[in-house]
Amino acid sequence: MTPTIFEQVQGIASDLFGIPAGQITRESSTESIEAWDSTQHLNLVLALEETFSIQFSPEEMEQMRSIGSTVKLVENKLQNSPR
Amino acid sequence: MPIVIQPYRAEHEAAVQEFNLRLKAAGADPDLVFFRSAQPRWLPHVEGSDLYQEFFVALDDGVVRGGYALKQQNFSFADGSVRRIAYYHHPLSEGIVNKSYAVVGSLLLKHAMNRSPLLHCLGMGGYDRPLPKMLVRLGWAHCLVPFYFSIVRPYRFLREMQALRSSVGRRLLMDFAALSGTGWAAARAQRTWRRFRAPAIKPFTAEKIEEFSGWVDPLWQQNTSVYAMTAVRDSAALRTLYAASDHHFTRLRIRRNGNDIGWAVVGERRKDEKYGAMRVGSIVDCWASPEDALPVVRAAADVLEQSGYDLIVSNQSHYQWGRALEQCGFLQANSNFIFAASKSLAALLQPFEKNQSLLHLTRADGDGLPRNF
Repeated sequence: MTPTIFEQVQGIASDLFGIPAGQITRESSTESIEAWDSTQHLNLVLALEETFSIQFSPEEMEQMRSIGSTVKLVENKLQNSPR
Repeated sequence: MPIVIQPYRAEHEAAVQEFNLRLKAAGADPDLVFFRSAQPRWLPHVEGSDLYQEFFVALDDGVVRGGYALKQQNFSFADGSVRRIAYYHHPLSEGIVNKSYAVVGSLLLKHAMNRSPLLHCLGMGGYDRPLPKMLVRLGWAHCLVPFYFSIVRPYRFLREMQALRSSVGRRLLMDFAALSGTGWAAARAQRTWRRFRAPAIKPFTAEKIEEFSGWVDPLWQQNTSVYAMTAVRDSAALRTLYAASDHHFTRLRIRRNGNDIGWAVVGERRKDEKYGAMRVGSIVDCWASPEDALPVVRAAADVLEQSGYDLIVSNQSHYQWGRALEQCGFLQANSNFIFAASKSLAALLQPFEKNQSLLHLTRADGDGLPRNF
């Protein structure tokens, strides 16, 4: 079964932040994940860009304050990107 | 309001001034000041030029929260390709004094990466600084560009080199070496021994010139492919970097049997408290086939010695230029001049471990020009 976008984001975040995927929810945020600092934020954005073949602007990057908002942004990007 | 990053325009200058004042008021290092003028004083964008600077600011509802600069420059690669590479410099974020803006540093870098995927940083002052720490964590390829120095006047070096005179014991020891003459003897012996062991240099001539012209172009063309990567150093680029009107530099044309073999640019390094009151000369830039590095380095060092400098310094990434410096009596010391390449740029330099010593990077690259060489 193809993993959902949430599951893929969850996996990337788990690798980056060094916490089990099961502990990462849509509500997980820069406030609740200690390892989610500004450099890891950029690493997360770059990993998402590579995985989904999309590109984020700095303005979009700033909106990614939680896993939920990040997933939503990725979904919007994929819906709007030319196939 | 989300933070937006825009080209720095004259209408932002007042907000940049306020940004600088906020950093200063919060106790930031006095050197951490963003450019007052939106128009770069050095390398402004001129129609048709490949070598220019551009500035950007991060705006939060009209308030400047950070900024950065890019130097756009053509670089040549060993496969003969020439690509536009950007040098990312002077990133400054309000995050250094206000945690609410901690993300600004990452936003600036992301903006630069979107704009110029082939991005590099050079200099940065050592791995303990925030920017190189961030680049390492982002997985950028990186290495140190070796630093070399030659002591011309051992007495002055021993009495003035503040970076080494860091304790009472060291100061006493250095003063003893200076006053007794043992320092002079040791420095002379080391230099003489290195020069004695160096291969014999075929006779050459070095001529001071006012400006670079077309004679450098064949030298540029003949030698580009021996370097894994080098900033384009043709006559047009050199006239821009070392304009005839800039009297801080001495330009040297080096010939053998009437044929051009290379060139060098030397100059006086600006005062730095770690060097005390010493006059420090710098081999800023140079070009030749690596086989002819030795006469070029010798010519540059001789001119600086004859000009009365106490110490001569240089950064060179290519191993044969480093070897030439050592053969002229230079010693290698710890470097804080870091080269870091974005993943896209590093992909062009694979295998990086091997190619890092085949890059041609000097003090003229990165943060070296116009005055920090």
